[in-house]
Amino acid sequence: MEIAYFLGCIMNNRYPGVEKATRKLFEALDIELKDMEGASCCPAPGVFGSFDEETWATIAARNLTIAEDMGADIMTECNGCFGSLFECNHMLKEDEDKKAKINANLAEVGREFKGTTNVKHFAQILRDDVGFEKLASLIEKPLDLNVAVHYGCHFLKPTDEIGIEDNAENPSILDDLVEITGAKSVDYKDKMMCCGAGGGLRSRDLDVTTSFTKEKLDHMTEAGVDAIVNVCPFCHLQFDQGQVEVNEKYGTDFALPVFHLAQLYGLAMGLSPEELTFDAQRIDATPALAKALGENAK
Amino acid sequence: MIIRGVFSMSIINRLKTLFKGENKNVEDIKTDVSNTSDDVEVTSSKVVNDDVVSGTKTTVPRENTVKEEPKDDKKDLTLSDIETEDEEVVEELPEIKENPLEEKVEKLHEIKEKVKETIEIIEEDVKQKVEEKSNKDTKGDNMTLLTDKELLNDSNRDPDFTAEFIDAGIETVKHCFQCGTCSGSCPSGRRTPYKVRQIVRKCLLGLKEEVIADDALWMCTTCYTCQERCLRSVKIVEIIKKARNIAAHAGYMAKPHKMTGVFVMNTGHGVPINDATKALRAKIGLAEIPPTTHAYPEALEEVQKICKLTGFDELIGYDESTGGLKE
Repeated sequence: MEIAYFLGCIMNNRYPGVEKATRKLFEALDIELKDMEGASCCPAPGVFGSFDEETWATIAARNLTIAEDMGADIMTECNGCFGSLFECNHMLKEDEDKKAKINANLAEVGREFKGTTNVKHFAQILRDDVGFEKLASLIEKPLDLNVAVHYGCHFLKPTDEIGIEDNAENPSILDDLVEITGAKSVDYKDKMMCCGAGGGLRSRDLDVTTSFTKEKLDHMTEAGVDAIVNVCPFCHLQFDQGQVEVNEKYGTDFALPVFHLAQLYGLAMGLSPEELTFDAQRIDATPALAKALGENAK
Repeated sequence: MIIRGVFSMSIINRLKTLFKGENKNVEDIKTDVSNTSDDVEVTSSKVVNDDVVSGTKTTVPRENTVKEEPKDDKKDLTLSDIETEDEEVVEELPEIKENPLEEKVEKLHEIKEKVKETIEIIEEDVKQKVEEKSNKDTKGDNMTLLTDKELLNDSNRDPDFTAEFIDAGIETVKHCFQCGTCSGSCPSGRRTPYKVRQIVRKCLLGLKEEVIADDALWMCTTCYTCQERCLRSVKIVEIIKKARNIAAHAGYMAKPHKMTGVFVMNTGHGVPINDATKALRAKIGLAEIPPTTHAYPEALEEVQKICKLTGFDELIGYDESTGGLKE
């Protein structure tokens, strides 16, 4: 099996440990991740999509054509990239007029959108294409960790388009994937709430974004978790960098380390915290990592 | 209706000051009261007193309130009604069991005094309001917050604005029946002036400037909670994004947003690589430069060409010579 691996921006340009873990995981799963050479920003659904739909759709469609030329389906492990690429692919497959318009633009750069690829989310591939059993077989040492799962917004929603089988108000896909590693997904208040970063809000009004994140961190901390697990590098950044901003603004001392689901699997498969670039994250993950790996007992 | 609302509020507020610490109850009652029928004047004083003095936290159900006071009573509103109610209240007081007897009796006297004072104040209110009510035709309209100036007519509407949503395939903007589930679900609306239900309505009415000139339009994180819960399957996030497109093209675009556009035009990425991440990537055995537009200049040129083709460079005010913004 081959997959066109869409990197996006934040994961590869800020949290490369996520990319490292993903490449290792898919190597172990015997699925070839093929680079989408020359891919750009997805571009961000809430930002570019908010400014000019035509520009947004043309840049997204350009990315889609790279995968079409490779003859492979796309995998992304960012909700934002998933949102943009899935939505654009869906829109151009459904709407002949828009397809014609976007293709007129793409022709100027020697490309054509054909509608021959599918856009899939990392977590969707793990559950639906790989399967829980195979994933479980990769776990070297079950992790001892209580985590707050953060789904993010552009993963299961909008449900009438996305079609990942689950309940967007009360989903289970990520909790199930987390628990395969041995970690426990702890329920918390307003679990499905947004981290606050999306839609261009983080760059437009950091105070509002920070207040979203504070609310989430309050609820996660009340539930007594050791870490946050997400499937979106932008949410990841918001909980990591944003947690520092929350502490500065509100005088709080939140200290919940942030794991992308790929990093959690990387850890369970025996990758070192350095390979997963936890040492480069803003929130110190050392205590959670020690607990996860059972090093506290020693 | 308006007189009634103000009247019951005044009673409640006075009682609120008198018996502190019952805010929650009072709020609940307020809701009940403002929703009940014409005899609110009488029922409200009863409800509040009963509830507060007996110290219970139970809200008197609306149905009971309405049943106890038949509609016909409204014109017979007198002080004796209220006094009767309050005598009942005082009789109930000895049920308080926490305090020693003497203290209790003393306290009861105090409360009785205060209740009497309150009744006097209420009496004043009643007189005033009943007078006002009798002059309803001439004075009642002064109580409204609605003025002729705020009425909308066709001259306020821009049908082309509404048409932009329909033409973009968001016909569901017409399906909204203003239930407010969207605003009630919105995490941004809890903390900002962003009122998604209103925006949807304004888009349908064609109130272009009200929508696009309002900074609150940019408070949506596109989390889709509203759209998922919409009873009428209105594509709410699409409406917001379309309204933002129109706003951006009309010049309402924040500088940080333009800068995100600048990053993409310069590098192909909204969040470009930096030296720290390059070093980190190399350290863990990844290609120092990811195989994206960062590694393929000809790919970056394609992105730049697209941005010029669609006029995105002009939209954000991109200055090719400096690689920044023109302003």
